[in-house]
Amino acid sequence: MTILETWLKQATRHLSRDSTAQVRREIQEHYESAFEAGIAGGASAEEADRLAVIALGHAKNANRQYRKILLTSAEARMLREGNFEARAVCSRPWLRWLFLVMPIAAVFVDSAAVARALLAGGIAMGVLFAAPLLPVYTPSRGRIFRGAKWIVLVATIGLAFGADALKWSWLLSSCLWLVVWIVWIEWTRVSIRRKLPVADWPKQLYL
Amino acid sequence: MNFKGTLPPLILEALAQEPSHGYRIAQRIKERSEGVLDFKEGTLYPALHKLEKEGHVESFEDVERGRPRRYYRITKSGRGALAKDRMEWRELSRAVTSILGEV
Repeated sequence: MTILETWLKQATRHLSRDSTAQVRREIQEHYESAFEAGIAGGASAEEADRLAVIALGHAKNANRQYRKILLTSAEARMLREGNFEARAVCSRPWLRWLFLVMPIAAVFVDSAAVARALLAGGIAMGVLFAAPLLPVYTPSRGRIFRGAKWIVLVATIGLAFGADALKWSWLLSSCLWLVVWIVWIEWTRVSIRRKLPVADWPKQLYL
Repeated sequence: MNFKGTLPPLILEALAQEPSHGYRIAQRIKERSEGVLDFKEGTLYPALHKLEKEGHVESFEDVERGRPRRYYRITKSGRGALAKDRMEWRELSRAVTSILGEV
């Protein structure tokens, strides 16, 4: 493996396939110009190769900067696979029916606590499923919708557990992995929004 | 010497002269600063991508000595950003000089 190849491998670590191809191309072009300048300056091929790669600096630093500006493989995968909420529900028809039936069932159950939980679940799901029907596909409206979505989701947890929230804290803490996962997904979406021009945003990025 | 945050305006200034590719931009900055401003060339492209995303530069394909190359040119918004950066730098430079004194 050449010195340049080692450098490129480190600099493109965790970048998406398209980002990697872009970085490889521009750095290869840069290297060729630097190599030719070195040869023209009287250096041997080996020396010119070494100097051209040294001038690029640390590959890890470049990788850190590229990851701030280009899509990583995880972000590209998320864009390819789409909205995780929609995917989770659309791939399971029984789940879709369950969410539709939940608020209706709340009217008929005897227990107030169960009715409250069903209603809360219905409201939370309503927010998620109403999104594609709402005119939220501009950056500012999307931002307002996301803020409202998180307020409603947190409020529904409060509504579902009500005064018994402390009693149910064992259940909430056992779902901590789910919270971490959702935070990671939201954080990745924030990162994609920063990197992609608004004109290239797919619908899922507004939600 | 490498002052953090100074690379984007230096790139814009280099492109304000004429459209150019990455290697030539790096060389122009080093030559004009007489080698004082030395930055790692691998960090030039992330900065260029950022400027492109902000709409300050735009890229296009061209051929140099029979090889296709990606060139960059400054946009109207880039010229505006450069003028603003230049003004801020003058103010900062004047303030620091008034504290440290003329050399």
